This record gives sequence, C-alpha cells and structure tokens, in this order.
Amino acid sequence: MTNRFQPHILVLPEDDANSQLANGFLLDLHQAALRKIQVLPEAGGWIAVLDTFESDHVADMDRYTKGFMFLLIDFDGDEERGAYARRKIPERLRERVFILGARTDPESVKKALGPYESIGRALAEDCREGTDRTWGHELLRHNANEIGRLRQYVRAILFSS
Amino acid sequence: MRFEIDVELNGVLHEYVIAFELEEGLKEVRVREEMLAVGGSPIYARAQSQVEFAQNRGAPTNGVTVEGFSIDWHLVALPILQEESRKDPLFIFKQWLASMLILGPIPSLISGDSNQETLQPDVPVTNFAAWFSGLLAHAPSAYSKIDAYLKQVMPDLVDIKNPVVGKDSRSLVVQFAAGRGSPLTQESLSVPFEDLSDGEKCFMICALVLAANAAYGPVLCFWDEPDNHLAMSEVGHFVLALRKAFQDGGQFIATSHNPEAIRRFSEENTLLLHRKSHLEPTTVRKLSDVQFSGDLVGALIRGDIEP
Repeated sequence: MTNRFQPHILVLPEDDANSQLANGFLLDLHQAALRKIQVLPEAGGWIAVLDTFESDHVADMDRYTKGFMFLLIDFDGDEERGAYARRKIPERLRERVFILGARTDPESVKKALGPYESIGRALAEDCREGTDRTWGHELLRHNANEIGRLRQYVRAILFSS
Repeated sequence: MRFEIDVELNGVLHEYVIAFELEEGLKEVRVREEMLAVGGSPIYARAQSQVEFAQNRGAPTNGVTVEGFSIDWHLVALPILQEESRKDPLFIFKQWLASMLILGPIPSLISGDSNQETLQPDVPVTNFAAWFSGLLAHAPSAYSKIDAYLKQVMPDLVDIKNPVVGKDSRSLVVQFAAGRGSPLTQESLSVPFEDLSDGEKCFMICALVLAANAAYGPVLCFWDEPDNHLAMSEVGHFVLALRKAFQDGGQFIATSHNPEAIRRFSEENTLLLHRKSHLEPTTVRKLSDVQFSGDLVGALIRGDIEP
C-alpha cells in the first residue's frame, strides 16, 4: 500500500474516462514511483468528487501531512467550475490539492488525441520533461496554473530517479 | 477448432496456425491444418498428414518447398520438427512458447523446497523454488530485480537465501529486519518460505515474473486472477507493476473479477468474456463493442452488461 507517512498522491477521478487517463499517467512513471500514487474508485460526477473529498479526505489530509490529491473532473465548458471547486477546498489544504480535467470532457480529448492511456502517458511525459506538448492542447491548457504548481510540489515525488 | 497465434519476435511477425477436426464416427480429434510462417513466408505447412518445409529455414524464402514427409494425423508437428540452429525460426518460436508463463498460483501448495532448477513454473507455481533457483542460475543479476521489487512492497525485507539442506536439495528462507524503534530485541527474523502469507507468496511470484521478463524475455505472462490473496490496498499497485514491467517487451494478460484490478486496465485493453451456457462457446468482445451505461465496474456488479 501507499505509505501515507511519506510523500504520496491520491487521485480521485470523476468517472471511468478520467480513471483511464490516470492509468496512462501512472504507466509512464518509474516502477518505484508507482507505490507513491494511488488511483481511487471513480466518484461518479464532478460534484461527487467534491463531496467525496470533503467527506473522506479532508480529515485524512490533515492527518497525513505529506499527502497530495489530484481531483480529476470534467469542466463541461464551464469556465467558473475550477474556481467553484477550489473554493470547496479548505484554505489550509489548497496548496496540496490539484484540480485537473478536460475543458469539456475526456471523450473530446480522446477524439483529438487518441486513446485515454496514451494521453495519460503523454501528460506524465510533459510533467517529467517540463514540456507542454499535450497539456498545451486547447482542451487542456486551462490547467496551466495547476500544472505549474504540480511541477513545483509533486514532480520530485513522482519523477525523481 | 482453429487456433492462431501472431507474435512479433525480434521485430518479425511469427504466425502459427493449427486446426483440429473430429470426423463423424471417430473418437479422437486429428490435425487438419498446421502452419508456421515468419515474416509472411511459410516455414512449414501441413495439410492433414503431409508436412512440407520451406527452403533454408534460417532465411525464409517465399515458400519454396524442398522436402516433405508424413506424420500421424493425431500428432502436432511443431514439437516434433527438429531445429537446425538457435537462429532457426522454429527454435525462436518454440523457445518463446516454452518461456510463456501461465500462472494460477495456489499459495498454500507452494513450499520453499527444490531439488532441481527450471525456467518453467507450473500453473499453480508449486515449483516456485525450482524456478527461483533456475532463474538465478540462468541470470544471477536477476536477484537485483527481485530484491528491488520486493523491498518496495515489503520494506522490512533483508534478503532471500536458498541454502543447501540435503544432498541435492535447497530450501528458501526469507529474512526480515526489525524496524527502527521496534520493541523487538532481535535484529532480524528468518522465515521459511512456506510460512509466508498467501499474499506475500504472490509478491514473490510477481517479483520472479518481472525478473524473468527482463532475464529471458520477452515472455507472455497469462495470470489467472492476479488479485487473488492480496490485500485490497495492494491490488492496484500489483496490477500496475506488472503492466508497467511488460510495457517495453513481452505481454501481460490477466483475467479478473476484482473491481480494482479491472479499473487498472482501460477500454482499449479490456476484453469481456461471456458464456451463455455450457453448450455454447465463450464469446470474447472488445469493451468498445459492449453496450452499458455508467461505469464499467458498476454495470458488471449490476449484471447490466448486455449478454
């Protein structure tokens, strides 16, 4: 299991599609890094992600201070959703929580870029290499601020050799 | 019944086909057709009892035959045909078949004792210790791969020893360290392999699979329900470790009924197997061809996947 007393990341996806993106992301990591990140069962909608985070993970994040969370949600073309979701995260945890997702939905990203796992791998490669070949796609580039923070806080956990 | 295997080995497509028939009134199936082709050129082709070889098997030509012979219709030709060298496509393909790992471990039957070495574990992996010995005899550096994986899942592992315990026998012993700040007075604990938990034995098997693929791969590993015996928090890590290890060579295929194991695959690499009755064959369908609403695991649990 993931050692919760060491730096680690929990990924809470909204649905199957986001979970498959996460699978691809993990498959690009080094074998040893796989135990520092865990994909949780899909919540069943973006509101459920926020509700599950609040009910199941806020207390845990207070307890395990080296833990980070990726909340994978669909923005469904709603430009305010990111800000709304962020307001749902307690101020003290905001630095350790990342809200990421497709501007519309993962199905559109899949149509544009290929299978979910391939996209996930490419996103991880961008994080590792410091590039934005895939994160820079028009359906993903709104995540730029979160990716910047992610590189600052999380890159060393997942991509250090 | 017709079976076809297409596999890319050393960058070249190897195609093997075998078809069986059951003549009305007979009790035994017999071989109707058999063929091995490499890079599109037949190495040998067989129709019923007549086998014909292509010229110069090391560098296949376009199916020019120079020799042929007859064999019993009930015998498969592949294991009988003699390889000419290690470069012979027959040898390469048969080696790949032989190194295939087909696993359905029964941990309670796995002991740490061995009196021989092998690179071919049996399906329940009861010869784990012989496989461990054979793998390290074949490639001593494989231990570092085994050690690296096991120390990720069992951080208190010190090492695995395989001392001689009789004239021709060895017995695996696993050593664990007491953690820092532990109230235990002893510094380490040696555990006979058979006393490990079922899940720990599966970690050991996984470590050998990863090391085998690196040492004598690429191998095809088929693992029947790899999630069996594991703690729920380990299933995802376990499946992803295997998938990751086979990304750059070899192939990993798993069957599962476990939600977490199923979630760690995606729609492009998940097949749904279904059998309507014992009298009908199992159907295999891509997930993209299956109708369901909501998430896959939820639909499977509800039994809402259309048959």
